[in-house]
Amino acid sequence: MDTSIILQMVVSGAFMGLVYALIAYGFQLTFATSKSINFGQGELVMLSAFFSLTLLNLGLPYWLMVPGGLLFGAALGLVVERAGVRLALEQKSEGWILLTIILGLLGFSAAENIWGRDDRPFPTPISADALHVFGINITPLEISVAIGVFLVMGAVELFKRKTLMGKAFEAVSADRDAAELMGISATRTIMLSYGLSGMVAAMAGILISPITTVGPTMASALILKAFAVAVVAGLDSGFGVVLIGIFLGALESLTSFYLGSGWREAPGLVLLILALAVRPNGVFGKSTMRKV
Amino acid sequence: MDFVIPAQAGIQRQKQFREADKTKFSFHLHGTYLIVWIPAYAGMTDFSKYGMGIYDMLKRFLFIRGAEIIALLSLASIPLFVSNSYALGLLTLLAIYGILLIGLDVTVGYLGQVNLAQAAFLGLGAYAAGICVTTFGLGMLSALGVSLLVGLLLGGLLAFPALRLDGPQFALATLSFSALATTVLNEWEGLTGGAQGLSLDRPLLFGILMDAKAFYWLCFIFLALVWLLMRNLLASQWGRAFEALRDSAIATDAMGVGTYRHKVAGFALGSALGGLAGGLYAFNFQYLQPQSFTYDLMVILLLGVVLGGRKSLWGAFFGACLIVLLPNLLSNRLLFELISAGGLLVAIAAAWRGWSSSKRLTFQAVAPIIAMGILVVGGYLVENTENWRKAIFALMLFSVVVGLPDGVMGFAARFLSQLFRISPSELPPASKLEDALPTRQHSGNTLLELQNLKRYFGGVKAVDGVSMKVRAGQIHGLIGPNGSGKSTAVNVISGLYAPTSGEILLQGKALPQGSLFKVARVGVARTFQNLQLFAELTALENVMVALREVYHTPLPLVLLGLAGKEEQRAQADALALLKLVGLEAQARSRAKDLTYGAQRFLEIARALARKPALLILDEPAAGLAHPDVTVLVNIIKSIRECGMTVILIEHHMDVVSELCDVVTVLDGGQVIAEGTPSEVKRNPKVIKAYLGVESEAGLPDAMPQPA
Repeated sequence: MDTSIILQMVVSGAFMGLVYALIAYGFQLTFATSKSINFGQGELVMLSAFFSLTLLNLGLPYWLMVPGGLLFGAALGLVVERAGVRLALEQKSEGWILLTIILGLLGFSAAENIWGRDDRPFPTPISADALHVFGINITPLEISVAIGVFLVMGAVELFKRKTLMGKAFEAVSADRDAAELMGISATRTIMLSYGLSGMVAAMAGILISPITTVGPTMASALILKAFAVAVVAGLDSGFGVVLIGIFLGALESLTSFYLGSGWREAPGLVLLILALAVRPNGVFGKSTMRKV
Repeated sequence: MDFVIPAQAGIQRQKQFREADKTKFSFHLHGTYLIVWIPAYAGMTDFSKYGMGIYDMLKRFLFIRGAEIIALLSLASIPLFVSNSYALGLLTLLAIYGILLIGLDVTVGYLGQVNLAQAAFLGLGAYAAGICVTTFGLGMLSALGVSLLVGLLLGGLLAFPALRLDGPQFALATLSFSALATTVLNEWEGLTGGAQGLSLDRPLLFGILMDAKAFYWLCFIFLALVWLLMRNLLASQWGRAFEALRDSAIATDAMGVGTYRHKVAGFALGSALGGLAGGLYAFNFQYLQPQSFTYDLMVILLLGVVLGGRKSLWGAFFGACLIVLLPNLLSNRLLFELISAGGLLVAIAAAWRGWSSSKRLTFQAVAPIIAMGILVVGGYLVENTENWRKAIFALMLFSVVVGLPDGVMGFAARFLSQLFRISPSELPPASKLEDALPTRQHSGNTLLELQNLKRYFGGVKAVDGVSMKVRAGQIHGLIGPNGSGKSTAVNVISGLYAPTSGEILLQGKALPQGSLFKVARVGVARTFQNLQLFAELTALENVMVALREVYHTPLPLVLLGLAGKEEQRAQADALALLKLVGLEAQARSRAKDLTYGAQRFLEIARALARKPALLILDEPAAGLAHPDVTVLVNIIKSIRECGMTVILIEHHMDVVSELCDVVTVLDGGQVIAEGTPSEVKRNPKVIKAYLGVESEAGLPDAMPQPA
């Protein structure tokens, strides 16, 4: 077997895995503050990508489009929080699972009708011509994905650690009741986390679109793998998602090479179920204690 | 977090006042609002005095059983009058989806979990039947049997990893499972034909070729069977256990009911029905494609269950009607506009009612109006509603989930039973307490012994070498300042935590470690400092679910509805225990509607239903008002008269003094004193532990309360 082919597979898979990691990071943000995640996050990725494409088509330059797309994603995140999550959290029910699925469905239908069902190319100024590094082809596009992922995650982490609002975020994540008693509004912090999570999803959409093209179903496979990464790493594990994302990306790339592209999704799904069975809190997650 | 309790009690009381105000308000403002005034009226007229019990029974029978009989008879007879093949096709689908949704309702309604795998089980069942017929040449009934088994086994298999999970993790596990199932159906081309699909011929049944009419009747018979069996099952201890574990998994284990086995059983059962429906689906369409069983179908199924109404066979049936009619509903413009406008009106009416009673517009009132408004306006604006199918589902589902959480049938059932004054069936007279809670004779031997028990959390030595003996028939107090390790000790004994080291002996035998369920099964029952009631169940059902030595009927007989006698006995026993704690009048109230004090007493009654050898009461007086404390003391006294051995954790020193034969005092995870209450109160070490100073006066009756 040609090791360079395997290596090539692993490396391209790993770049893809970084995008899963980025979306999974978005799950972690909302899970930290509210113990809830947006089951329609894939639609958020897709809608933001479509919106960004529209901005480009309107003649906006690429570098101005990016903040526009991110703002749109953040706005959608806030909508999800208000319409789908807040009520259920107030009632301490798990209605948010159903409601976020429903909102995702609404977004999907809207995208289908507004932008059409076809996949469209997403122009980018970054070159897709391969560079040869140690016998492996790497495109600047792939490198830009990696840079983008780390930039966004770094920026959010800096925000959480260096600003007052970020400190409030950490406080609510650590102990919601105690934070409220200290005068921090949990509701606002949860809104903030959903806004950030929407922004992160939009970034994922913008980064991945030049590679996968934009279409209503672009994120339906993506999101399953992001779920898998988030759960396998642990929904509260911080940077564990990056490692697991890279691992899963490489693994599925190899799987599709050896078993056929139809099996591409399988390893993520199997890993997710296994992880839930063996370590429900994830590989890097802290185990929690049953309390009464 | 002791300090939360009194606050909670306060909020609870405030809530009740608010509820009471609301009732009065709507009574005065809207004389037309039946739901409010009819119960009040019925309360004034005591029918039972005039021998109306039989009349009530008859009415109940006619309405509940009568509706079932009418529905089943008309479904059975429609093909006699209608030979339109399109209508027949719809009816067949209705029967199939009916079975599928009844199965889905077990997990979504009774177990309370978001299950995204039911569409996959439909597909797996369909392919199982198809492959049985095409590859193995099996007959129709055996193929259907295989479909059912495939659902049952795969459902059980998926439930095992999903076992420890709740909420989002469970939903994710089922979501991954469905995606995996679709992948396998697509890619295992040798067996399934892959994306090309699988064609099959409907096999003979007993040598008869099934035409559309005959096949409909077959599907109908299956639906009727499933309906009857599930009705019996869900009304039995099984149904109660499903609901109990939804409300509190910890208490379900601590009451010896077993969370794991019921969760697996419930999920496997629901999946088996999905598989069966799949088999019928295969023989109905005679062509299968993996794409038919994806996420889209799952959302439609959820729409059916949620809109129809959870925890209700009628709801599932109504949901199935809706799913079958949806395509027609969307293609007929006028019908669509009528329905969306009707939905908007209902949403506005509901919001107006809420506004006039509380002068507040809640999210629950406004959001459905917005959603239905979008539906109405959008219905006029877009050219082809079919293209917006998913958005329409989404808007309808959204309105129902937010505004009508009980679904259409849940609402209708409540409304009708109050409109026609259908009272719940009469309860049997309470058993003698002696039958429900046999008196134990004791020689004063040691019942429970802790030997050098330790439990560390990391570096925190919560329990650090506690040894004590609890004698049979005594009330043994366990006291100590906050953080002294009382609750941890009790949690270790009852199996919530495994001990770090040390032995626990019950009647000389080692107690199982680290499993609430196993400890409960050998005769230890407990209450919880932070209440763990089954909130949605009634007080009576809370006690019934925990009863021991009552349920003996094997599952097949339960399914056939032959557990009636046992149910009567369970009700009578549960009533006896409710009477003991003074709650027999509230037997039909839901646990979450009881006052805070009543909830505490209900937990005691529920624990007694285990007929335990040892009863652990974890701060039963916490947060109780003074009159309730007196009631509590009397309850515990009458429990002692039954010969019950009790470990009582308590902060109220007067309660401890009045009740306890022996008191053990913990501090810093270690025993600092043991003796009668008055000895302990004078012990300088105890005084120091509580007050931080040596004092001549002894401990006051009211211990310094936490916050």
